[in-house]
Amino acid sequence: MTTSLFFVQLINGLQYGLLLFLIASGLTLVFGVMGILNLAHGSMYMVGAYLAWYFVQQTGSFTLSALISAVIALLIGIVVERTLIQRLYRRNHLDQVLLTIGMIFVFNALQSILWGNDPLGVQVPEAMSSAIPLTEVVEYPVYRIFVALVCVAIAFVMYYMINRTRLGMLIRAGESNREMVECLGIDISRLYTIVFAIGVMLAAIAGVIAAPMSSIVPGMGEHVLIACFVVVVIGGMGSIKGAFIGALLVGLVDTFASVLLPQLSSMMIYILMAFILLIKPQGLFSS
Amino acid sequence: METNKQLLRTLLAGAVAATLCIPALADNAEPIKVGVMLPFSGIYAALGDAGRNGLKMALKEHEAELHGRRIEFIEMDTEAKPERAPEIASALLDQHHANFIIGPVHSGVAMGMIKVLKDKDTIMIIPNAGANAATGPLCAPNIFRTSFSAWQPSYPMGKVALDSAYKRVVTMSWNYGMGRESLEAFKESYTAGGGEIVKEILVPFPKTEFQSYLSEIGSINPDAVFVFFAGGGAVKFVKDYDALGLKGKIPLLGSGFLTEGTTSAQGPSAEGIKTTLHYADGLDNSVNTKFRQDYLQMFGKEADIYAVQGYDAGLLIAKAVDKLGGDISDQAALIQAMESTTLLSPRGEVSFSKAHNPIQNIYLREVVDGVNKVIDVPAAKLEDPARGCKL
Amino acid sequence: MLFNTRTERYFVWVFFPLALLMPLFLEQNTFYVSKLTTVMIFAIFVMSLDYLVGRCGLITLGHAMFYGLGGYIFVMIAPEYEAVNFWVYTFYICAIAAVVALVIGFLVLRTSGIYMIMITLAFAQMTYYYFSDSLDFGGNDGVFIYVKPDTSIFGLSLFDLDNPTHFYYLCLLSLFNTLFFFRLVIRSRFGRVIDSIQENPGRTTALGYNVFIFRLIAYTLASALGAYAGYLFTLQYGFVNPSMLAWTTSGSALVMSILGGIGTIYGAILGAVVYEGLHFSLEHLTEHWLLFMGALIILMVILFKNGIAGYLEKLLERRA
Repeated sequence: MTTSLFFVQLINGLQYGLLLFLIASGLTLVFGVMGILNLAHGSMYMVGAYLAWYFVQQTGSFTLSALISAVIALLIGIVVERTLIQRLYRRNHLDQVLLTIGMIFVFNALQSILWGNDPLGVQVPEAMSSAIPLTEVVEYPVYRIFVALVCVAIAFVMYYMINRTRLGMLIRAGESNREMVECLGIDISRLYTIVFAIGVMLAAIAGVIAAPMSSIVPGMGEHVLIACFVVVVIGGMGSIKGAFIGALLVGLVDTFASVLLPQLSSMMIYILMAFILLIKPQGLFSS
Repeated sequence: METNKQLLRTLLAGAVAATLCIPALADNAEPIKVGVMLPFSGIYAALGDAGRNGLKMALKEHEAELHGRRIEFIEMDTEAKPERAPEIASALLDQHHANFIIGPVHSGVAMGMIKVLKDKDTIMIIPNAGANAATGPLCAPNIFRTSFSAWQPSYPMGKVALDSAYKRVVTMSWNYGMGRESLEAFKESYTAGGGEIVKEILVPFPKTEFQSYLSEIGSINPDAVFVFFAGGGAVKFVKDYDALGLKGKIPLLGSGFLTEGTTSAQGPSAEGIKTTLHYADGLDNSVNTKFRQDYLQMFGKEADIYAVQGYDAGLLIAKAVDKLGGDISDQAALIQAMESTTLLSPRGEVSFSKAHNPIQNIYLREVVDGVNKVIDVPAAKLEDPARGCKL
Repeated sequence: MLFNTRTERYFVWVFFPLALLMPLFLEQNTFYVSKLTTVMIFAIFVMSLDYLVGRCGLITLGHAMFYGLGGYIFVMIAPEYEAVNFWVYTFYICAIAAVVALVIGFLVLRTSGIYMIMITLAFAQMTYYYFSDSLDFGGNDGVFIYVKPDTSIFGLSLFDLDNPTHFYYLCLLSLFNTLFFFRLVIRSRFGRVIDSIQENPGRTTALGYNVFIFRLIAYTLASALGAYAGYLFTLQYGFVNPSMLAWTTSGSALVMSILGGIGTIYGAILGAVVYEGLHFSLEHLTEHWLLFMGALIILMVILFKNGIAGYLEKLLERRA
């Protein structure tokens, strides 16, 4: 591998990893704070992508579509938490697994009824449709750089929010001692609703910004779901920092394995995960 | 509150129990039974929808040729899960006694169906799955295919690449049967004519992260790239190929599925891509023009190859039933009637080989304004070699 | 008494005699016999998972690995055009699967909870991709088994595997034996240690038991039975495909086990029958079966606290 190709692959790996982080961050946040294992998280990514497509058709503007989709996702999160998830806080993880698998079925069916099964595509917004040449042949599209920057920005916002704001303080407190927070007169159930809705919104935003560079198809949610869980588990469930490092690791390993070890590339992220869990059974940064 | 909940529980238990009783109530009239085994959910759902639409349209259009026999459809969702295929196939065979079973899309599902249906008292018509084996080593008198063998659409592209003076080509596909067989067919004609395959890339199925592979292709800088991808993967691939700047520098060739039912999602990225396939939406013949108009009117969207293949499955049934005057009870006669049929398909004339695979033209197409325009016919009346078939 | 709740006794007395007579009613329609056979085979698989998850507290999302291996081991070791002995190969397959489970269990049982779910998934995915990518065993399209084993013991052949009704009875027998076997295991000294591990691993260690070894044995047992179920499934239609190993197979089994009532063992049969039955009925009713299936699952989780078995127990045990 030449040096220039190495750097191109490095950028590819980082960019894929950052997008994975954005999808996985909501999953780890919801698990860390509420102890909820949300298998329907991938469906929210799918919903985000379909909403982005729909509102681009309606409004013609990608930015406007992204805003509307984020708000709708937030509302979906609130409704789902209030009507379904809330009933399961005192049950075990297995009931949550069953409930969220039921939700996957429902979301997939609704997608098929509302938007059909044909593959759909969203065009890259006009302002970002140019590209930067990297080598003689390969260019790097501006939009993908923008996506990477958005992911980094969201990582920083999350970090700031959790460590510096009042909401973050409550989240950290709720994570370590639920009863204590309740005793202090804080409405924990409202806090949970907010956190769950933010988690859903993050997945949907990932779906929205991924839409112009991918194909919008049935089943796209389940496909990212497994990758997300790998990321989150490698990093340590509930740890935002862990998810960030885990996502970059998975992105880089997957990218380089596909070029250097093509025979093993399909298994590589699982080998990585098994290896890490054998050394650190709680992931890299578990709290 | 607690009594309400108890009531709800009882209601739910009742509803579940009632649903479980439904299969016992199936009726038993005597129409022509057509079992449809296609994916209506999951990643292949769009292909399943189109195939079913085409099938129904053909049988409705040619109602007069059915000699008054009503068609009853029994539709089953395969979910593109091979492990469920034998069970669903035997449901259509043993429970519903279907005269015809149309399916599937996915090659793994086709294998599971063939295992159950081979040499049984029903006719299986494959409206998509291209596994060479289905009309190769596993061929059987009661198995027909109205689509293609994986070999057919890709083989002629080798010659096209040589004619365009492409000396070094990279080939790429998913690492599964259909993908590998497509690449092999291309390689067969391309290397026979002196071309060189610089690299063969097999991507784990159904992965769609193509960026690292494309960067590598960029560094190899071949004369052209030949690929097989379909559906959502094809959309993503064509977009990535454009976004990473390869489009316009390295010509992209493909098995025609790359731009079937996907051009509107691919947008401008698809313009100029050359592919070979047994159909083209821009094909200029009266059957195709009428077919496309009617399809658009009935279903509100443009027809693609999957719809054509389903349509031809329906057409084949109608023609055979017509030949026999509506009496399809004699299986040998029915198979005879089907074998000897020549279909006036939207893709041109289609007849059947000894192995029951279509003999058909392969067109070279180029995407212009989102439509696959025919620019040449590199192989007329191409017959699959049917390696391993003893029919 | 072996079956310790009244509900379970009722269930066993209703289900098995009914299942025994079923083929008589369905004589004219071989499909239903085959369908019930498939459901019973899957129930064996779900039961082995239910024991792990519900009784041992070992949640795995990689159980399908053994289900698929049951089929693939047969493809690997049996000659292609020669009938082998069913019982001998049952032993081979369970033994090989048990060895695999020992090795994998040795690695994965160091983790727990969600980490164990994911590391078992990781190993299952590796096996899945091995069989899906490699061309040695048919790759993604799967492979056929042309000759079915014969079932003679000392020259006496009880079941003809090509006959769906015979195969049905073989599977029914296997299902009953599996239920019976797990009941014996649960009642044994070993089973009581396992129960106490799930209750409190720390205290069990303090009593001088090696928790890891007990868990490893339980994992191996359940995995070998999972492989047996996969072996039966493979023989039913003579078709093996990598999708048997996919995580969705583990997922459905987990769903059925929770739906039936986790840890009740017999609930696995309830879960498999109800889930498969609903799936079958709904997909005949409507193209959008997924919507109703999903909605029913959601309702059942919310309303039935301990699955269907839990609901039945609530009805039947109250009067006891």
